[in-house]
Amino acid sequence: MPSSLTGFEPAPLGDFLRRASSYALIATPILFFIVFFLGPLLYLFVVSLLEPSKTELYGTRLTLENYERILVDDFYHRIVTRTLLVGSLVTGTALLIAYPVAMAIARMSPRWRILAMIALMFPLMLSNVVRAYGWIAVLGRQGVVNSVLIGVGAIDTPLAMLYSIETVVIGLMTILLPYMIISIANALTSIDRAYSEAAQSLGANPWRTFIHVTLPLSSPGVAAGMQIVFFLTLSAYVTIALLGGPRFSLLVSLVYRSAMAFQWTQAAALAFVLLTVALCVGTLIVLVLRPGRVQGRG
Amino acid sequence: MADGAIDVRLENVSKSFDRVQAVREVSIDIPRGEFFSMLGPSGCGKTTTLRIIAGFERPSQGEVYIRGVRVTAVPPYRRDYSMVFQSFALFPHLTVAENVAFGLRMRRVPGAERRRRAQEALDMVKLEELAQRYPRQLSGGQQQRVALARALVVQPAVLLLDEPLGALDKKLREEMQVELRQLQRRLGTTTVFVTHDQEEALTMSDRIAIMRDGVIEQMGPPREVYERPRTEFVASFLGASNFFDARVIERRGAEAAVDLGFGRGVIAHVDAPGTDLRIAVRPEKIMLAPLGAPGTHDARIREIVYRGVTTHIYLDCAGREVIVFLQNTAPQALAWRIGDAVSFAWEAGNAVVLDRV
Ligand SMILES: Nc1ncnc2c1ncn2[C@@H]1O[C@H](COP(=O)(O)OP(=O)(O)O)[C@@H](O)[C@H]1O
Ligand SMILES: [Mg+2]
Repeated sequence: MPSSLTGFEPAPLGDFLRRASSYALIATPILFFIVFFLGPLLYLFVVSLLEPSKTELYGTRLTLENYERILVDDFYHRIVTRTLLVGSLVTGTALLIAYPVAMAIARMSPRWRILAMIALMFPLMLSNVVRAYGWIAVLGRQGVVNSVLIGVGAIDTPLAMLYSIETVVIGLMTILLPYMIISIANALTSIDRAYSEAAQSLGANPWRTFIHVTLPLSSPGVAAGMQIVFFLTLSAYVTIALLGGPRFSLLVSLVYRSAMAFQWTQAAALAFVLLTVALCVGTLIVLVLRPGRVQGRG
Repeated sequence: MADGAIDVRLENVSKSFDRVQAVREVSIDIPRGEFFSMLGPSGCGKTTTLRIIAGFERPSQGEVYIRGVRVTAVPPYRRDYSMVFQSFALFPHLTVAENVAFGLRMRRVPGAERRRRAQEALDMVKLEELAQRYPRQLSGGQQQRVALARALVVQPAVLLLDEPLGALDKKLREEMQVELRQLQRRLGTTTVFVTHDQEEALTMSDRIAIMRDGVIEQMGPPREVYERPRTEFVASFLGASNFFDARVIERRGAEAAVDLGFGRGVIAHVDAPGTDLRIAVRPEKIMLAPLGAPGTHDARIREIVYRGVTTHIYLDCAGREVIVFLQNTAPQALAWRIGDAVSFAWEAGNAVVLDRV
């Protein structure tokens, strides 16, 4: 340091205090992260590796049998497949519907855009349970759809629309749609107008401008939206139970059921399978869309 | 130009936004190969005019022609031009080579030829090595060159540039000015260049339009607009000027003897009618003279600012300020002291009669 040349010597004590306080600033969130996130996760992971016990929540011997059961048993395979299917359908349909809506919102004047965003947030303030019951009121045996169809004489006996994979997908999709729209609309509004103008000045018509510029530049919002919707689908236990009925299970239903049955070691192992599914799909989304290209990273 | 072809023509173009009238009845003809600059303070309508040529703004009135084709209602992607944006607007998700090839791809140029021409364009701006990088991995100057290569590779009828050097630091900007001008001369591309930097406009242009409040105040080659500004605005925006009121005492052909209020002077090129004139004299065209020499005016030095190449001397002449720029070539330029009594004068031909507005 040429600081002595300028005649200015930094005070060592002040330096130390400054550094210490900046460490303290970083340390607080790290501490929170360890206590409230990493700690419980580690604990859960250890539990998933312990043998089940008839008398305690978990035994004391380390074992892989909780995971083995999931890997070997066809029943679990079907559940994992169905979980992936529902997650993909919900995320895919939400994306298809959300993108055009988000584009319309991004084109609005700032004032209307804010109003539209607030309108989209309203349903998010309602509990998922309330909204699932809303769907039951619409699709149930005595629901709106059946009443109308019977009323006009189109059918004699009510259609069984609840308790199917379609209902679960449609229900979850509509419940989670606002997240996708908000995420993509935010990405689209933050794209500098100069990019699409540059494309047009180079001869790209509106469609090709969209394909070659707007779409890739919105990938951070698309990736974030897809991840949020997929992850929330994985964990939407109540909605799945209400709309899918007692016999419709996804991974999260099994976690819940095992935990309620005091099979803690099994519940923990299932939770980690769920986490693994989430991480794999989340990574896949990032690998395919490569939002980092746009955000100034690798 | 030899064949006299007009590449860009604006015919009586106006543009209003909600409240503001950004461009007012602008008419410009830009012949093939010309480097044409639009110069003016921020908000005077330069960008809007450029965007009207590009097709991003629809004029409220008037017509736009590119290479003789009326394009007023033609969308941007079907007009024959390309553009360098102030922010460069390089596509962040594409490599340098892909960025440069973008326009060719949109024109459906086959892959092999596309790559060859993109490579040539990168050679031209001396960036051949960086073809596989992403824009964010480049310095500001390199991004600027990529933007230029991307615009030129499609061989546009017109190249539009909106303050393309504004984001660069002074040294780099001056290098790029020279490089851009050399490239433009070599390729012969008709160019419309927007800047608020008067030195940049003077350095680079074949012709300059000076804009103010949406109106072109004066248009002409750099020397003409600098030496013969028509209005006080042009005279002060392009360089600096001393302004005086002058009353004509006696006319002799194009020359006139005038009363300046603090003495008598002679001015040339007086085609303006009337007796009350407003004149401008450039600070570098005022000479300091020994005290009391005939035909000079007496003043006192109020302030001296040493600027390296020049020294700026602020005179107090009967209560009015007169600025003089002296070249620091003679030791005498550095010998003046604040408070010294001096005389100053200018040659008749260096006093410019302005339009009364
Ligand atoms: N899209 C727009 N909406 C409303 N006013 C605008 C718009 N674009 C430009 N203006 C106004 O038009 C005037 C000229 O702007 P601009 O052409 O950008 O000036 P310059 O490029 O010379 O700085 C300014 O007063 C500006 O505020
Ligand atoms: Mg501008």
